[in-house]
Amino acid sequence: MLQYILKRILEMIPILFIVSILIFFFTHLIPGDPARLVAGKDATLDEVNIIRAELGLDKPIWDQYITYMSNLFQGDLGTSLKTGLPVSEMFADRFMPSIYLTFMSMGWALVLGLLIGTLSAVFKNKWPDYLGMVTAVSGISMPGFWLGLILIQIFSVQLGWFPTGGAESWKSYILPSLTLGAGIMSMLARFTRSSLLETLRADFIRTGRAKGLKESVVIPKHALRNSLIPVVTIAGLQFGFLLGGSVVVETVFSFPGMGRLLIDSIAFRDYPVIQAELLLFSIEFILVNLIVDIMYSMLNPKIRYVS
Amino acid sequence: MRRVNVWKMLFVVFVSLVLMAGCSSKESGTDEKESSGSSSSSNEEELVIAVNENFISMDPHNTGDTNSNSVQTAMFEGLLGSDEEGQIIPQLAEEYSVSDNALEYSFKLRQGVTFHDGEPFNAEAVKTSFERIMKDESLRLNSRGFNLITSIDVIDDYQIKVTLKEPYAGMLTRFVSAKILSPKLINDSSGDIGKTPVGTGPFKFVEWVQGDHLTVERFDDYWDKADRVKKITYKPVPENGSRVAMLKTGEAHVIYPAPVQNLKELESNTDVEIHKIPSTIARYVSINTMKEPYDDVRIRQAINYAVNKEAFISVVNSGYGLPLDSIIPSKTQFYSKQETYDHNIEKAKELMKEAGFEDGFNAEIWGNTNSDTLKGMQFIQQQLKEIGITVEIKSMEEGTLSDEIYGAQTPEEAKVQMWYVSWSAYPSDTTNATKPLFSSSSFPPDGANTAYYKNDDVDKWITEVNQTADPDKQAEIYSNIQSAIYKDAPWIFLGVDEILAGSRSNVEGVFISPTGGINVTDANLK
Repeated sequence: MLQYILKRILEMIPILFIVSILIFFFTHLIPGDPARLVAGKDATLDEVNIIRAELGLDKPIWDQYITYMSNLFQGDLGTSLKTGLPVSEMFADRFMPSIYLTFMSMGWALVLGLLIGTLSAVFKNKWPDYLGMVTAVSGISMPGFWLGLILIQIFSVQLGWFPTGGAESWKSYILPSLTLGAGIMSMLARFTRSSLLETLRADFIRTGRAKGLKESVVIPKHALRNSLIPVVTIAGLQFGFLLGGSVVVETVFSFPGMGRLLIDSIAFRDYPVIQAELLLFSIEFILVNLIVDIMYSMLNPKIRYVS
Repeated sequence: MRRVNVWKMLFVVFVSLVLMAGCSSKESGTDEKESSGSSSSSNEEELVIAVNENFISMDPHNTGDTNSNSVQTAMFEGLLGSDEEGQIIPQLAEEYSVSDNALEYSFKLRQGVTFHDGEPFNAEAVKTSFERIMKDESLRLNSRGFNLITSIDVIDDYQIKVTLKEPYAGMLTRFVSAKILSPKLINDSSGDIGKTPVGTGPFKFVEWVQGDHLTVERFDDYWDKADRVKKITYKPVPENGSRVAMLKTGEAHVIYPAPVQNLKELESNTDVEIHKIPSTIARYVSINTMKEPYDDVRIRQAINYAVNKEAFISVVNSGYGLPLDSIIPSKTQFYSKQETYDHNIEKAKELMKEAGFEDGFNAEIWGNTNSDTLKGMQFIQQQLKEIGITVEIKSMEEGTLSDEIYGAQTPEEAKVQMWYVSWSAYPSDTTNATKPLFSSSSFPPDGANTAYYKNDDVDKWITEVNQTADPDKQAEIYSNIQSAIYKDAPWIFLGVDEILAGSRSNVEGVFISPTGGINVTDANLK
């Protein structure tokens, strides 16, 4: 297993290399001239050209890529074209709030999703099932910004329980994480339900029940555990998306996270920031996938990884 | 099975670590919250201002955006400042004068002023700051004007004279923007200026958490001893609804801008006040005067007669705004009102007929993807239909649009027909409100004359007006410029924005200038 993990980590190197090339060239392919955007609408061509040279954008793109990569290997993510600050410094304040928000969203989405899904399957076509599925469908169909604004209206403006935004205390995380987790919770609930229903029809469950095992043992220990593989896959993928996809929620809650930074940077064609963020998201995504694969073997010992 | 258990344990450890990390952050977060007391009810000594965008830089010599500027005005001052109307007033200079040939600027400095780090303010300090702007190549955005300086003469500790090599009409406004930094900061650590700003302003820098907030606190040795609030926190809150919610809960004392769609609701709230400020933001559609059939002035005038400006303000701007009755907004210096193109379909049709386009033609209008822009373009589309012009709307993301506009190297290459856009200049800088937009030397990519407007008289006047320091003469020339261009109609003259801000009713002394800058010099909470 350890060998397998090491192998997977080593495999990341060529993948990241290819990803870095793609990110670099695609970022530079976006229409829009950063020098013009930095200079402002009233700038003359001379001023724009001075800025272009200063930002190194007048050099051939291969040249720029080589400079970028050699800086990257020295741990230098570059300097923001917009703020003039080192990219690593811009990440410093925003990275942890984003991570906390993601884990919190994922945490309660997993707990509630599994609970609702299991209850729905166990009480199939009874009221807990209907209630659970109505909740799940609403969670999937409500757009994040709308749910966010509704939560702000109820819990911040009317009741005054939570702040409307920011990331100053644990209270600031409640509403955004609920908003962010809603869709995933719903998806997990539906997947858990259908997967569990399928497992419950399986022969080994019937055998278990025939042997006289109690339902409280059959469901969690035998059925649920075997139903979790597809759920873990979905959860893993969603988790990867969450890390980079909280843009809308971060905007609604004026949350100082990575998603908002990415949007701001794209609007400004802030190449170094866009590149560094995309690279970071790719690494996170690959790592999450690795963790998902490892969890497979924990859930089902029949899955073994051979190196 | 044993192997699985090991992994199970590892998983449990991993989850607990994550949870612990989460909890520890919660705890530290709670403490911070309690000590800072950001809730308005628990601590009235802190003013919270929510704005719509992030701050970009705290280096005042390298700032182009209004929000960063707003925050900087709390910490820094220039030799000159601007009042509520945006007009120039003395600030760190008590008096100033300009020579007749518009080349020499003399300042008498205020005495007894100190920087936040204890350094004294004097002529040497001014010289150090100005030299930084002139010489530091990375300060590309603010060197305009300062690159014309030939000498800075320190006459004595509190008198300084700046000489230019050629006249530049926007120079006084540049002295407003050129904030004076502590010379110690400039000499010691030029790399950190954006992170550790030190000026002479009424508030001194405390902390800046990227994307979250920036805090300043009262500077007790400030030269003007008026009573002011102890602490101000600026927060970027891009979502309109969230900003409104913050104002309603009292989490923010001032929000700028206040979204139009929430105004009614806010106005009915007794704890909240709404401020409407006529701005210097001109909204217009530039018409490519070199392209057929727009090269015919009658077509451009017909288009202007066909568009109902009042309806524009009420439909697109929800009733907040003023008609654009010159080429510059009324808050701009040397503004002179013109006879407007009132809504007159008959006259428009007549002009179309005279120009040989009785049956109309197909046109294209460009704009960015902003929902307000789209609404504006749809309005124009609907209005021009009345006179037979079928308008196709092309909305493009800002960067793409900028490429399309500035990618054309010559007027012949330009594909733009009509561009729905806005322009904002400092109220005191009429040059910036005219030259980049109407001088034939400003065709893209060299400037923003996207109407490709060329009028020899106007070109001559724009040069002339920059060569004199006599305000009467300037007023006369600017009056000619405005009337000539307005008649030539290179734009659809739509409106001037009223900027909207909201504040809690206990806020005093905070004002928003016509450019959207927030001034907190006398900010206080009742």
